[in-house]
Amino acid sequence: MSQQRYAIVLDTRKCLNCKACTVACKFENDVPVEDEAYRIWVTEMPLTGRFPYLHQEFQPSQCQHCENAPCEKVCPTRATFTTEAGAVLVDYDKCILCKACMVACPYDARFVSLEHKAVEKCTLCIHRLQEGREPACVETCPTKVRVFGDLNDPKSEVSRLLGSSNSYRLKPEKNTRPRLYYVT
Amino acid sequence: MFREQLQSVYQIHKNHSRDVHNLPFIWLGAVFLVLGLIGVLLVLFKGHEAVYGVSREVPWGLLIATYAYLVITSTGLAFIGGLGHAFGFEKFAKMNKRIVVLAFITLLAGFTQIGMELGHPFRLMYLFLLSPHFQAPIVWMGIFYSMELVILGVELYLIFRPGKTNRQLTAVFGFLALLVGVIATSNLGFVFGSINARPFYHGIYFPVFLVVSGIAAGAALLLVINNIVSGFKVREELQDSMQALGKLMGLGIGVMIFLYAWKLISSVYSEPEGMSQAALALISGPMALHFWIGEVGLALVLPLLLIVLCRGRNSAILGLSGLIYMLGLFFTRYDFVVAGQLPPMRPGFEGSGVDTVKGLVHYTPSPVEWMIFALGLGVFFFFYFLAERYLDLQT
Repeated sequence: MSQQRYAIVLDTRKCLNCKACTVACKFENDVPVEDEAYRIWVTEMPLTGRFPYLHQEFQPSQCQHCENAPCEKVCPTRATFTTEAGAVLVDYDKCILCKACMVACPYDARFVSLEHKAVEKCTLCIHRLQEGREPACVETCPTKVRVFGDLNDPKSEVSRLLGSSNSYRLKPEKNTRPRLYYVT
Repeated sequence: MFREQLQSVYQIHKNHSRDVHNLPFIWLGAVFLVLGLIGVLLVLFKGHEAVYGVSREVPWGLLIATYAYLVITSTGLAFIGGLGHAFGFEKFAKMNKRIVVLAFITLLAGFTQIGMELGHPFRLMYLFLLSPHFQAPIVWMGIFYSMELVILGVELYLIFRPGKTNRQLTAVFGFLALLVGVIATSNLGFVFGSINARPFYHGIYFPVFLVVSGIAAGAALLLVINNIVSGFKVREELQDSMQALGKLMGLGIGVMIFLYAWKLISSVYSEPEGMSQAALALISGPMALHFWIGEVGLALVLPLLLIVLCRGRNSAILGLSGLIYMLGLFFTRYDFVVAGQLPPMRPGFEGSGVDTVKGLVHYTPSPVEWMIFALGLGVFFFFYFLAERYLDLQT
């Protein structure tokens, strides 16, 4: 069993929609400025309530690094794989661009990278994790919407947050068991 | 001795060539091939992403649909060939050579589409050997369709090799072509049916529907081809074969109507998320014209009506119904590939990156995708009618 079990806990109530996370992701990972090329996004949820009692939430999201990852299941060449700690990654040299993973992903988290000539997605900034740093989107967030950590460490902030709040995961009916949790 | 043999072969071809009307189709195929090759050059020089209309939201488009259209028709032909070879259906065995050549070339034509769809087709060839992921349905699709090509290749050799025909071996390979063809097509259905993210695809419907519609397509294509090569005057000894093909096609369409009805009813009843949006895109949404004119009118109602009106007896009308069915079936394949991807994976709200119109994403094939489509048709028309012209396909 792996020593670590990565997770991101998001508190969308803190999101200002400043999009610093999306910019940080693009700079950190050299994601080109194109309509379809983005690893993370912030959806502006519809306004709820009636004037003057109005409310709007913003929902930052990205690859959910699913425990039961459909993208990995359908990949014919094992280009998509999961690390022991739970990061779902793509080996660009093995990708044949059949795009089955893009069709199979219930979160629309993948796109074709012109630079890598392969399907690309969030890597949890694995290169930063190896240096003991947090993912760029987590580090840059001014209101700490995202918290990254190890669920196997009971003292980690992600464990504390999940233990002390109600949380949900996106599209539970797909049984993908995401490693991204949204606290309410 | 050798000269006598050559003369006899030449005489057969000379006599045979009078019976067929293939030259216009060879030219048509050549024009399609030229268009297709220009498309290939554009893809090679500019890159897939620059010239194809598929997108992040709709990654599979016209080429996947055309691939499915062609390879499933090929396995349908192999099924009919297997009935003749291995199960003693003499009416189909009479068309033995034509069926095998047609199935082989149609399969090759289908492979052009998947070859041009994939970003790294050559990488696929060695990674399927070095790093195959056997849980992935696409791996099995590759294995089964490659096996089908080899089996059909062996069948070609067996039926065209000089000397006495080995009926037992032909029967074995005919049976294998039937069996592997059905498995390959149902597995292709599972490539879609395994995708939990797309409710319209998910389940057993497509594995079943593709096999049934593929067998009907095999029968329809044979009805069309036999009419074309005989100038719509099919020879007397093939009349019973044509009638049997007409019945097979009619039966296939009947089962398709049954499957369609329950698929659509279950897709819209109580509005299951993702599934109902796709079904409504077909019934009353952006794909309604395709659906009602192409899928329902051309692939189901008209051909069935023609078969019933001629009581399955008039070969020329059966040929016409086959032609209409094959046209309509193209819409069927295209619609199911595209409609399943139209419901977005997240709502198209501001910032989501998803662009929707009335809750659906959109896709239109690009001109280069149509050129690659022409490549597939070109391979089919050019090589098949060349075979008709220079080989004796009368069994």
